[in-house]
Amino acid sequence: MLTMTDVKKVFRTDLIETHALRDFNLQVDEGEFVAVTGPSGSGKTTFLNIAGLLETFEGGTYQLDGQNVSHLNDRQRSQLRNEKIGFIFQSFNLIPDLNLFDNVDVPLRYRGFKRNERKKRIEESLELVGLANRMKHLPSQLSGGQQQRVAIARALAGNPRFLLADEPTGNLDTKMALSVLELLKQINQQGTTIVMVTHDQHLASQAKRNIYVRDGQVSEMSGIAEPAHIEMHQAAIG
Amino acid sequence: MSSNQWEIGPIFRALMRNKVGAILIAIQIAVTMTIVVNSIFIILERAQRIERDSGIDEVNSFYLTTTGFGENFDPKSTAFNDLELIRNTPGVLDAIQINAIPVSGSGWSMSFQTEPGEEKETQGGAIYMVDEHAIDALDLEVIAGENFLPIDVRFRQPGVRDWPDNVLITKVLAESLFPDTPYQNVVGKTIYISQTEPMIVKGIVDKIQAPWVGWDDLEHTVLTPEITGFESNRYYVRAQAGQRDAIMPVIEEALASSNKQRIIRGMRTVQETRERSYRGDTAMIKILSTTMVILTIVTGLGIVGLASFSVNRRKKQIGTRRALGASQGSIVRYFMIENFLISTVGVSLGAALTVILNMLLVEMFSLNALDWYFVPAGMIVLWVVGQLAVFGPAKKAATIPPAMATRTV
Repeated sequence: MLTMTDVKKVFRTDLIETHALRDFNLQVDEGEFVAVTGPSGSGKTTFLNIAGLLETFEGGTYQLDGQNVSHLNDRQRSQLRNEKIGFIFQSFNLIPDLNLFDNVDVPLRYRGFKRNERKKRIEESLELVGLANRMKHLPSQLSGGQQQRVAIARALAGNPRFLLADEPTGNLDTKMALSVLELLKQINQQGTTIVMVTHDQHLASQAKRNIYVRDGQVSEMSGIAEPAHIEMHQAAIG
Repeated sequence: MSSNQWEIGPIFRALMRNKVGAILIAIQIAVTMTIVVNSIFIILERAQRIERDSGIDEVNSFYLTTTGFGENFDPKSTAFNDLELIRNTPGVLDAIQINAIPVSGSGWSMSFQTEPGEEKETQGGAIYMVDEHAIDALDLEVIAGENFLPIDVRFRQPGVRDWPDNVLITKVLAESLFPDTPYQNVVGKTIYISQTEPMIVKGIVDKIQAPWVGWDDLEHTVLTPEITGFESNRYYVRAQAGQRDAIMPVIEEALASSNKQRIIRGMRTVQETRERSYRGDTAMIKILSTTMVILTIVTGLGIVGLASFSVNRRKKQIGTRRALGASQGSIVRYFMIENFLISTVGVSLGAALTVILNMLLVEMFSLNALDWYFVPAGMIVLWVVGQLAVFGPAKKAATIPPAMATRTV
């Protein structure tokens, strides 16, 4: 589903070079639910951006659903994002001026679906997240948990091969976070591959597989992260 | 490309939730269109006025006034001697004495009618008192009938009230006096001046404007064959091509020294006279053009400002759209369409305001009614201005990277 081999990403300014990812290797198979954890500045977000084709990379190869994406142009990358990847962001990233229906509609229009097809998909995906009766509401009229559900509906409406979630519960209280997590599990059980970046160890422990990123490289674990790392991270974020 | 990607519905609904800026820009577009379209219409009308052909050879001609003051001043001999002197000066094509200068703003007019008596229908006509040289001096053409003969030309003393027997009139006046007769057949007909005094139309000339550029019947002109014996007389001189400026001082000097009983004054080219007569129109064109350009620039900048503000405010949203699959082209298109919708409201309102302003101008300043196509043309121009103005900010929006979506700013 997703294979990164020796992927490198360097951020340069006039004075310094920062190696955000160095020889980053990762394989995610179809149907997996992978949590990516690591301290701030470890390279998780860079990994997420590259995995989601939001950023380019300098070295190595990245195959998404069997396709080498290294040499795609901006337009092809946009199209691939639209067709294969569903995004869930920490701060939901709903468009405040559009109601729920129009928000979920955004990626479907870029896909070029016909009106009836879009309507059916929007209704189905809002139904799935339990918000079908609030289609005409604006995001500001919903709670944070509900907004994230809309974002999930938007991510799912195009039937992507995999979901990329960036701290999906980072802005939610525990109760809402749990309900969003349950929703993600349910979606995964229905066959969608999920890669979730988080610094929440409890959340990560709910995933089938955990990846720990440190200094731009992967150190894989199957269970919960080592307590020392958690403490370090918590100390870092205060 | 699918029409779904145009996003007109969502863009419109999003605009409706952020109305204030959009409405202000739409109003600005409407006001700009109203002023620009009416200005262009007035400018074109004025420009057409200015460009009307006076019928005479303006470029090579000039005139001057001679005023006698000495005790022994004899207007008649002076006139004949002066004309002979001027006509024999090298570089002169021809010259006449004339009572008024076309396009100059001052002259004589009389009423003409086709039947004698009171309360008959009349046509106004400017009168130029000239001799048989007028055709060459003024660069006219006799298109029907004949030019004056020297024998037709009389000497007109001050205080004389009657008129010569034969006249030349313009084609336009011939057609106004005898609307049902081809102008050629007007030759030989009698017209009446001072209600009852008959004159015979000896010939028809192609075209010569009256002195008053604002007059509706600008081409109603009559040439009467007379040399005048007033204290003050004007000579109109047509130089050979390119000789005008060279012979002006020569003639002024020659006239001044040939007869010390008078002064020469008011020497001026016809071109300068035309410029003076149309100075108001020229100034109006300049003022309106400047206003138009400034207004359009201000509106363009307003659109650039609103779009730039909107791009900066929506960076995260744009990044999110890119992440969700929008190409750079889609982002550019989003802002272009948004602007098109705002402009459409603006130009629709502008179309109504344009017509209303024009109606007020027609009512208050007797301007002509706007030709209908000025309104759609103005709408298209403002649409284009809007699209050009928004293109820069839209291109800038398209460069916002999709990774902006995951930044926690």
